[in-house]
Amino acid sequence: MVVLRAGLCPGLTEDMIQLLRANGIRTVVDFVSSDLEDVAQKCSLSYKALVAVRRVLLAQFSAFPANGADLYEELKSSTAILPTGSPSLDQLLDSGLYTGEVTELMGAPGSGKTQVCLGIAASVSLGLKQHVLFLDSTGGFTASRLYQMLQAQTEDEEEQAILGRLRLSFVLQLEALQRIQVVRVFHVYEVLSALQELRDRLSQQVLSSVGPLKMVVLDSVSAVIYPLLGGRQSEGLGLMMQLSRELKTLAREFSLAVVVTNQVTRDSSTGPLKPALGRSWSFVPSTRVLLESKEGSWEKGTSQRAASLAKSPRQVRLLHPSLGMQ
Amino acid sequence: MQREVGTLPLAPALRARLAAAGFQTAQELLDTGPCGLSKEIGISREEALEALQVVRQECQGDAARTAGGSGATRKCTALELLEEEQTQGFIITFCSALDNILGGGVQLTKITEICGAPGVGKTQLCMQLAVDVQIPECFGGVAGEAVFIDTEGSFMVDRVVDIAAACVQHCHLIAEAQQEEDHRKALETFSLEDILSHIYYFRCRDYTELLAQVYLLPEFLSEHSKVRLVVIDGIAFPFRHDFEDLSLRTRLLNGLAQQLIIIANDHKAAVVLTNQMTTRIGQSQSTLVPALGESWGHAATVRLILHWDNSQRLATLYKSPSQKESTIAYHITCHGFRDVQPPAVTHCPEGAEPNPRKRPRTEEEKQ
Repeated sequence: MVVLRAGLCPGLTEDMIQLLRANGIRTVVDFVSSDLEDVAQKCSLSYKALVAVRRVLLAQFSAFPANGADLYEELKSSTAILPTGSPSLDQLLDSGLYTGEVTELMGAPGSGKTQVCLGIAASVSLGLKQHVLFLDSTGGFTASRLYQMLQAQTEDEEEQAILGRLRLSFVLQLEALQRIQVVRVFHVYEVLSALQELRDRLSQQVLSSVGPLKMVVLDSVSAVIYPLLGGRQSEGLGLMMQLSRELKTLAREFSLAVVVTNQVTRDSSTGPLKPALGRSWSFVPSTRVLLESKEGSWEKGTSQRAASLAKSPRQVRLLHPSLGMQ
Repeated sequence: MQREVGTLPLAPALRARLAAAGFQTAQELLDTGPCGLSKEIGISREEALEALQVVRQECQGDAARTAGGSGATRKCTALELLEEEQTQGFIITFCSALDNILGGGVQLTKITEICGAPGVGKTQLCMQLAVDVQIPECFGGVAGEAVFIDTEGSFMVDRVVDIAAACVQHCHLIAEAQQEEDHRKALETFSLEDILSHIYYFRCRDYTELLAQVYLLPEFLSEHSKVRLVVIDGIAFPFRHDFEDLSLRTRLLNGLAQQLIIIANDHKAAVVLTNQMTTRIGQSQSTLVPALGESWGHAATVRLILHWDNSQRLATLYKSPSQKESTIAYHITCHGFRDVQPPAVTHCPEGAEPNPRKRPRTEEEKQ
């Protein structure tokens, strides 16, 4: 809903705008959808001038149709599939995380969402040598745990522990740590600022600090949205949708894989677990993975964790056996 | 500059009016100026000026961060964070088994939640931590002060005196055994009166007072910059009775959790909360689970559950970002929190003792 302003296109002068506004035409949509002969008569403006202005406005503001084949070619060349570092999780996600999409991990407290995020960040940074942006809103990011995971992954690749190899793997781990940038955001406006800043940097292509960014992890999205939802205020839903739009357009425009983590809630104290943030949010991620630990009671101790696919555009939903989490 | 109007921190009514008037990006707002803005959407000039100031601040903040300025954002690489974490201290609990499963003690900059049935020792642990945070650095502590927010009224000063006296005596014994200069100097400022004078005590009677206290805490902490521990004893108590609107309760609790994590992060303090237990009645059996619902479980970064096993007290680490889940036994003596005494005859295993901080590699499912 863009307001008509002088200089929006050649031929649209201030006097014209005043006359149009006097007749109730304020935005581009109003102008383009009104009957121009009518308008020419009421505002005593020339019909030709109005038609010219309309043509320019349409060219500027309407969306371009593209055909399916072009879209497919473009997607093939720009989409990448990022391995998550765990072969069974990759299989669940149809060979990995797709760039251009939002993937959601949800689970009860202690089910391992932050651990999976750290593992994915470690794998992308070490294995693919790509930069990762980690937005932490819960304070759960522990660099020492990330370092442990990196060590475990380099040990897998380098079997012989000769002195030279040790030093090389140490250097590789340090470089991998430097490629992961962590931003602590504890309020939804901070998340939006951080995403805006990322967008500015990527569009200006300042490579020095960001490098080839391929993944954005937001842990967790419900921690920043929950304080705004509920009650009689509706601004929470609006902000949630703004955030989702930012994430999706970032993923699509710059070919990033976006991973978010979410909580689970229950309807009543005995109801089944369902993902938090409601129906509106459920349309945002294209793939949803539910993480749960078997043996729900904490008294017996938990050792088996399971990941199941709750929503996917490509896979059939099936229950997957346990993932070993190290 | 291309920031959408919907993402700016303005009042909701103002945002609705801006959207209705057709403004889309922050740049359009800045171009219009305060007079034009007040005319377009029908607000007073002062309000328009305030709104534009907010917008300008946000955009300047964004631009400064894009250009590489430091700003007030909490941004760094994982390598820098690793270095920071390795030099950070822990708050020990005087029970070495508990310290081991926590990875060294209660971590700074994180929220730790202690849940347990009544009488199992939550308030005792909080009082122990309030004393232990003040241990000088040469003895392995963080040399900080403590803030104790009490909602249940279970803080007993005589008990803190006992715990503090035992702690001071312990440090004296170490100093005598090691005979170092800085130990002696540190002990001059580490006496019973000093310990008690550095515990700041607040009493909150209902949830409004608690929320107000937590929102005023950042100012207090900027004045008392040595505070390294904030204890809220009984976060469940004011929220559990007489709350008709459960969604309001969830919203307040989540706002409280975010505020606490901001405090923990900005002031490098550990936040410790105690929670009650409630019963969940399932299909075949009933289990004890922490109170305040599922969504509260995500607020704490580290969760410790204290429970009974016949007459032995046990502590289980249920949720932690870097440590494995495990259970240990502990004792509460007249000196405070202590280990359970091991049996007299111990025989060591053949290999070297495994490092308790390293998670053993499991053969079954490799990633």
